[in-house]
Amino acid sequence: MTQPNRLRVFFSSAVFSFRAQFSWLNPPMWLTMKLILPFSQMAFFCLLGGYLVSKGFASSDIVAYMAIGNAIQAMSWNTVFAVINITSADKWDGTLQLMLASPAQRLPLFVGRSMIHIFDGLLSVLVSFIFAAFLFGVDFVRTDLLGLTVTLLLTGFTMAGFGLLVGGFSFYFRDPLVFANIFTFVQLIFCGINFPVQSLPQQVQFISYLIPLTYGVQAGREVIVGATLTDIAPLLAQMTVVGLVAIALGYFFFRRFENSARKTGRLEAI
Amino acid sequence: MPKPLRVTYSAFIMAMRHWIADPQWVIPNVIAPFVFTFVALTLFKNASESFAVNAVLGGGMMGMWGNTLYGSGFAINFERWQGTLEEVLAAPSNLMHVIAGRSIANALFGLINMVAILLIATLVFQVPLGIANPLLFSLAMVLTLLSVSALGLIFASSFVLTRSAQVMTNGLEFPIYIVSGSMVPIYFLPFWSHPISYVLGPTWGTDAIRWAGEFQNVPLTFWTNIVVMMLITLGYLVVAAFLFKKVGDKVRRDGSLMEA
Amino acid sequence: MSGKSGQSSKREESRTDKAIVADHLCKIFYTTKGVVRRTKKPVVAVKDISFTVDYGELFGIVGPNGAGKTTTIKMLTTMLIPTSGAATVLGYDVEKNVRKVRESIGIVLGGERGLYTRVNALQNLRYFADLYGVPTDVREKRVKKLLHFVGLWDRRNDRVETYSRGMRQRLHLARGLINDPKVIFLDEPTIGLDPEIAIETREMIKGLVKEGKTILLTTHYMYEADELCRRVAVIRKGEIVALDTPSALKKYVRDTSVVEIDAFGVTEKCVETLKKVPEVLAVTANLSEDKQVVKIQTPKGSEIISDLQEVLKECRINDIKIKEPTLEDAYLRLVEGKVK
Repeated sequence: MTQPNRLRVFFSSAVFSFRAQFSWLNPPMWLTMKLILPFSQMAFFCLLGGYLVSKGFASSDIVAYMAIGNAIQAMSWNTVFAVINITSADKWDGTLQLMLASPAQRLPLFVGRSMIHIFDGLLSVLVSFIFAAFLFGVDFVRTDLLGLTVTLLLTGFTMAGFGLLVGGFSFYFRDPLVFANIFTFVQLIFCGINFPVQSLPQQVQFISYLIPLTYGVQAGREVIVGATLTDIAPLLAQMTVVGLVAIALGYFFFRRFENSARKTGRLEAI
Repeated sequence: MPKPLRVTYSAFIMAMRHWIADPQWVIPNVIAPFVFTFVALTLFKNASESFAVNAVLGGGMMGMWGNTLYGSGFAINFERWQGTLEEVLAAPSNLMHVIAGRSIANALFGLINMVAILLIATLVFQVPLGIANPLLFSLAMVLTLLSVSALGLIFASSFVLTRSAQVMTNGLEFPIYIVSGSMVPIYFLPFWSHPISYVLGPTWGTDAIRWAGEFQNVPLTFWTNIVVMMLITLGYLVVAAFLFKKVGDKVRRDGSLMEA
Repeated sequence: MSGKSGQSSKREESRTDKAIVADHLCKIFYTTKGVVRRTKKPVVAVKDISFTVDYGELFGIVGPNGAGKTTTIKMLTTMLIPTSGAATVLGYDVEKNVRKVRESIGIVLGGERGLYTRVNALQNLRYFADLYGVPTDVREKRVKKLLHFVGLWDRRNDRVETYSRGMRQRLHLARGLINDPKVIFLDEPTIGLDPEIAIETREMIKGLVKEGKTILLTTHYMYEADELCRRVAVIRKGEIVALDTPSALKKYVRDTSVVEIDAFGVTEKCVETLKKVPEVLAVTANLSEDKQVVKIQTPKGSEIISDLQEVLKECRINDIKIKEPTLEDAYLRLVEGKVK
């Protein structure tokens, strides 16, 4: 039945229709997803930051801090779309293709299929950077472009991988998209988007380091004020490791699901 | 002739039934405002108590806003995906009354969302939330809820026209959070946005809620806020009624519903 | 374009003697093409349809897909506004008196949609009862009666998503009767149903007529129209090509026989060639992988067989029969346009 599947995909306050994946086909949707959303989220937090500064509760660089954080977080939707790719029953063939390919081919296959979403995410980040530069006082003069590009690409890739994990794990729940959705908001707490990880209670800080985005945002901040690729290499390395682990775990969950689906003959884990 | 209230009530019950059938979908709507509140509280760590309280109330307001807007807009698309939109349109009752029922159900979730945020803030984050005048506080909340629902109705009517409206309404969520003064007071916002703020009924409601939260003997401002908000809400209902009629006629003329 | 002002009120007055009146109904849709420069292209769904239905009559509209059946029903049930022309149901104008029309009619659009799947049958019916303003004191009794009528009383507390297709269709029918309508519109009511269930459904429809209800039914099953309807309108490309009782329609093909050929290896090309054989009035072919059946209408009778065999010489012919034409054949003739 196609109706319940569509129901799944559509049902969500923060995301959006299946068509959003192809937002470039549809001007109002494209406009909203690429311009209005990233801008308004950034504006919301930066205004909050500015307000805090005016009351003396924070130092004046918090606005730029938040702007960069939100800009890079704009890429997080590609994670969600990676999840959709994996868990949507319509895409089952594509995913099955992934599984049936030889082990050596699987990673490149995965990267290939995520590419469109990674680049889509990059575009969002770019647009957000423009807002950050002109409206929220972020100074890009000292940016190491190479470093920034590598950081963003790697972040996109690792987050897509994380999406695979979220997707693989959420197969066991009735509505995977709820998970993906919750996750995008949870990032706002754990990934150092609007405040440093250190502001969180000690006991939960480790969660931040399990998510690739945290490293990406940190590296991005450093690179924008002039750090070079070599300076941020350790961060990027850590991020890559986390990303690969996520992919491996996601793949594992996915295989388990595939096996149980083969045994029960059903395409749905529930 | 079906009584409007009966239709609205019936639609409300139907919406609640569907929520009970699929409760997990409330989670994304609840998580978002909660996350924003958490972020705000963490940022306000160094601030005085009253700011923390405002942050929490703001988060609660956002919860109410988000759910209601999402819900109203979604109401029409829900019928579409169930395949019942044509049947509902063919019935003699006014579509607006049907959607109003759903709107109110979603606003109710918003209210629950707000209460949850307040509870968690008090219990987990130990933000002292004394409500000075609980009665008027509740009154202000309920009336603000209705105001948000009415605004949601206006959005809902656009959904009959096109599915893309859903995305655009989602795009409006954050701007409305900003402009309604939930987290950041309006005086801090750029001056050109002030007119927009004052045209939104819930902006006045938020203010009234804060007054009742802080003062046992509410100042006159509380009552002026309430009155202005109710007037604006009435305006919304008039506009919504007009839009529903226009949209209904359009759909019947060009058969655009058939794309559904 | 018939005048809608002065003349129509007079027309309305005199037309309460008929349950349904369609007067030169026409509906044109506009599709837009292109993303940047959008051009509008008109699509004529219904060109010109006029007919009347008496009280208590079971009236059928048949036609191929895309002929305009559903569009016509939608205009009569106020779901679409006619581009031109007018219609009344129980004397109420479908454009000006929308609410009165909606209160008095039942609509069953068929298919699996039109029901809330996550709740049960009782809740569905109660909800629609509220939407239709069924008086509260009557509501429970009627819901109960309808569920019994469609044989779903035992499953009333089960979610609709657990229902089979046939059950959903029955619930759909119950929903269409929730306001005890005087006129009921059924759009392809037995499509996709198992034969036993389709038979049951037809019995239910007959039962409704006995209660004095007026029914307008669309279908593309000829035997159904033959069995149920007092009169049938045949629609093709938005126009009525014939309107009469089933027996009168069969007379269109009275002078013809039907040669039914059961063969193997028949292609579309063969069919086209068959159509060109002199004195062949209509050809229909049912070409499936394992079996192909071709029906040819001709006034000639058995003399034509040799010509047909010539065309089909590449194929293996299993059986040839000559039959009396049925309503279906009449319909095919009318719809393929070799009559008139």
